[in-house]
Amino acid sequence: MNTMLTRKEFIKTMGLCASALLCAGPGYGFLGDEDQVDIKGHIFENDAPEEPWKWSIEGFHYETAGETVECQICPNHCALDPGDRGACRSKVNIKGKLYSLAYGNPCSVNVDPIEKKPLNHFHPRSLIFSIAAAGCNFRCLNCQNWEISQKRPEDVQHDELFPADVVKTAKDRGIPSIAYTYSEPISFYEYMYDTAKAARAAGIKNVLVSNGYINPGPFLKLCKYLDGANVNLKSFDDATYRRLNGGTLAPVLETFKNMHREGVWFEMTTLVVPSYVDNPEMIKRMCAWILKELGPDYPLHFLRFFPLYKLSRLPATPVETLANLRDIALKEGIRYVYVGNVPDHEGTHTYCHNCKKILIERKGYIIAQYNIENSLCRYCKAKIPGRWG
Amino acid sequence: MDQRRLLIFSIISTGVTSVATQLVTIREFLTQFHGNEITISLVLFCWLLLTGIGSLAARWFRQSSIKVYPILVLTIAILPILQLLAIRGFKEAFFTHGVSPGFYQIFFYILITITPYCLLTGFILPYAQKVIIASGHEFESGTLYLTDTIGDILAGALFSFVLVYLLKPFSTIAVTSTPLILSALALLFYSRKRALLPAVFLLTLLFYYFSTNSRFEISSIAPQYGRIEQYIESPFGRIVVTKEGDQQTLWESGVPLYSGSNIIKSEEKIHYALSQFNRVEDVLLVSGGLGDTMTEVNKYRPISVDYVELDPKLTKAAEDIGIIKKRQGLNIINTDGRSYLKDTHKKYDAIILDLPEPDTFQINRFYTAEFFLLAKKALKKEGLILFSMGYNPDYLSDIWRKKFSTIYSTVSLHFRNILVLPGEEAYFLCSDRNLETDIPSLLAKKSISTSYVEGYFYGNVTAERIKRLKDCLDLSAPVNTDFDPGLISIVLRHWFMEYGASPNYFFLAVLILTITYLMFIRREEYVLFSTGLSVMGIEMLVVFAFQVVYGYIYLKIGAIVTAFLLGLLPGAIIGNRITDISKTKLIASELSVLLLLILFYLWAAFFRTGLHPVFYLIYSFFFSLVCGFQFPVAAGMIGEAKSPAAGCLAADLVGASVGTLATGTILIPIFGIKVAVISLIIIKMSSAIIASVSGKNR
Repeated sequence: MNTMLTRKEFIKTMGLCASALLCAGPGYGFLGDEDQVDIKGHIFENDAPEEPWKWSIEGFHYETAGETVECQICPNHCALDPGDRGACRSKVNIKGKLYSLAYGNPCSVNVDPIEKKPLNHFHPRSLIFSIAAAGCNFRCLNCQNWEISQKRPEDVQHDELFPADVVKTAKDRGIPSIAYTYSEPISFYEYMYDTAKAARAAGIKNVLVSNGYINPGPFLKLCKYLDGANVNLKSFDDATYRRLNGGTLAPVLETFKNMHREGVWFEMTTLVVPSYVDNPEMIKRMCAWILKELGPDYPLHFLRFFPLYKLSRLPATPVETLANLRDIALKEGIRYVYVGNVPDHEGTHTYCHNCKKILIERKGYIIAQYNIENSLCRYCKAKIPGRWG
Repeated sequence: MDQRRLLIFSIISTGVTSVATQLVTIREFLTQFHGNEITISLVLFCWLLLTGIGSLAARWFRQSSIKVYPILVLTIAILPILQLLAIRGFKEAFFTHGVSPGFYQIFFYILITITPYCLLTGFILPYAQKVIIASGHEFESGTLYLTDTIGDILAGALFSFVLVYLLKPFSTIAVTSTPLILSALALLFYSRKRALLPAVFLLTLLFYYFSTNSRFEISSIAPQYGRIEQYIESPFGRIVVTKEGDQQTLWESGVPLYSGSNIIKSEEKIHYALSQFNRVEDVLLVSGGLGDTMTEVNKYRPISVDYVELDPKLTKAAEDIGIIKKRQGLNIINTDGRSYLKDTHKKYDAIILDLPEPDTFQINRFYTAEFFLLAKKALKKEGLILFSMGYNPDYLSDIWRKKFSTIYSTVSLHFRNILVLPGEEAYFLCSDRNLETDIPSLLAKKSISTSYVEGYFYGNVTAERIKRLKDCLDLSAPVNTDFDPGLISIVLRHWFMEYGASPNYFFLAVLILTITYLMFIRREEYVLFSTGLSVMGIEMLVVFAFQVVYGYIYLKIGAIVTAFLLGLLPGAIIGNRITDISKTKLIASELSVLLLLILFYLWAAFFRTGLHPVFYLIYSFFFSLVCGFQFPVAAGMIGEAKSPAAGCLAADLVGASVGTLATGTILIPIFGIKVAVISLIIIKMSSAIIASVSGKNR
């Protein structure tokens, strides 16, 4: 038998190999349309535990079709067969029921200054009891908390603090608010909801720090107990949301509208990622939408980006870019625009939208001047939006 | 020049261009991706494996043509530029801009971009042998190996001692491809394919136009960086300065080293350390002296500040753009930080280390027990060393606990007090003096004002967080040492976790493929396989050991790599001259390799230091001499008819690829240097046994 290749056969084989490589290309984003790149999370088949564990609770919002369940908490709408785990990693289908595995098992518990969230118009100088459980419905390439947001609840070290314990601890320590933060609270919705409900009953405020990627139904229920929020508006471009975060813009905008309607005080945060979220025209469009749908009063924070996690080959955001975007937003009509991650920048202070005088001078978390009295500017008596206590 | 000589010249030239291209390509990938040993090992693994497959493919071709050969030669000469363009250009199309890809993405990207070149270079050597034989001359596999080795040595020396200091990658390719282009043109002329000559001349002109055009080269890296102001190649990596608005970014090997002012980091690292002293006189900065660092140091008015940075081209570029703030008493010292500490007689109040994560052998040397001992000797009685590690202040994962515990155990061998402050990074302060945690009050006493520490410290570095960090430390964690670099394996595991990937599937696949391959080769080919494996493994170990003892000195490491190449030549010459090829000679060479491996083990296990650098060179030379000797002997034993060059070359290359991967990514990082040598000894023993039971003498 002659096993030798002829030259022609060799070239043919090489041609086939090259075609196979080129066909594989789009799978990696190669040769594909850049705007179509989407890093959306996927469900994890056969990854659920056999039985619920101690820190489980049946999901509050889901639909069933036979043994299959569809989670209704966030726009991912994960349809899970028995044994599957949702994209957020904390929801599982066990024997035809949806369970949350993140209930009473916070992996991060801290007491922070409220300004760290960042919230500049919500009870300044107060402390906030901050908790997080593992999981997230996004896949942000620059996530600073990836070790809890991109992990299963079973894979992280955690404390045991059921909702009543959280409220009691905060109360015992004299802390006036609880923040659901660090990872993505939407992924531990049930835990957050029950804690918020108990906290409200105990006279403690609730603050959500989130990506805002949640369906209106569950969110409106949660809003009943929310006092404040800081929600990321990661960009004003759907393609960037898909490419950097694995989400979409529209549901986030809907969340802002719902908070506005429900009277939840909120502030917006945009991390200015160089070459993705620094386009002045995009920021103008974003401001126009905010003004039209939400009004001029909700503060907007532009944060400086530093290389982190997978997005480590970009420069830090130039401070000049942040100042420029702040100017644009102020000019467009947003009344309170802040610059974050740049200590001592003039954009860290609060200025009266009416008389332009300094209302709150900040040196980090320390407040050097405070010129708000009964929610009014001490100088011109203009009403300053926020929750001042 | 007659046709035979021309063909031999083309083989030497192929060696020149292939080694130069390999070195340029490794450096390119280190800049494009994570610059650690895993990337180096992956590139070498893919390179050697694909070249081996290319060699094997030549087996299938019964016929050879002197008319096709010059075209192949010309393609090999020109392809490196296209390969570099592909590596740079496709990356932006392949991956999201600004992202560091993970292990499997890096592997597949390397595989795809270097496949055409490597297959072709592997293929052309045995093909060249066939062409020479077809033209009526004798040319055995051993001679082919020897001829190619001459080219390899020339390129290795030329690149390491000359080109890397003078030229950018495209120009390096232009220079090293020239002999091959000349031989292709001459062969075309001889082969009466003169009709092709005008087209080939045009192609050659285009090649030189683009490869020597610096603007073209800069434009090829611009998509990755943005607006480039300066582009410098240094032996240590690629330095690029870009401008974004008013901000200048200094990139080192693809990573932003300095990107505008980062007052948070500058204040934390300087004030956490220096505020502990009533009076600061002498400060040593090991890397990280850019930007606001000097401004913050100056607030203490020290008498001298010594700033040690490895790469003189980096500090020069930083000075040019004004991000090293000059002061009286500032000495910029361009050398390896550890070598400096070993040699200096000066005593410091504080040593401030600002280095990346210890995910390479080179950086790990700054986090070992041996290093901290050196640092302690360079400190005054109550001096202090500070270093930091990036972490998540809101959650300490298990792997972080392990990392911090290992470091804590390591430093506590030499320092009485260790304070870990949970700032934006975790700051380790190590000293025999008492250490204070209330930094803002220390600063207030000294009337030093800050932008960040004053306002943010109490909110971020709370007593609760300090305690939690301290409580998580396992004081019985293993110590990180030079020759048992346990910290690297923790850091690499962490890197894999970032991408949710495990390398186990990859290693399993490599193992299965290797076993399958081994089942089909001859015994003598197994000897060559194990020799290829050992020589690459020991080369990594020698370079690693040298770095540990003497520091990262590019010229000397280049000399070691060249010594490894150089030894192959006399070895191959002796092997070729032997007319009575016998099993005894093969076994003798096997025993020599084993002896050399055992010598290395004894040194690594019991002596470790005290050897003059020249011993490393002599060792490398002799090791490769024995390996070079084996190739013609083994090939001769098999006989040209049964296994022409293709099979022997493939065995050598596949072995080398497996050796690189196993030593660089598994053996040294996970098991340490001693286990790595023992593994090589076991493999070589197996081949010695196989050699002793192999076929008859010829």
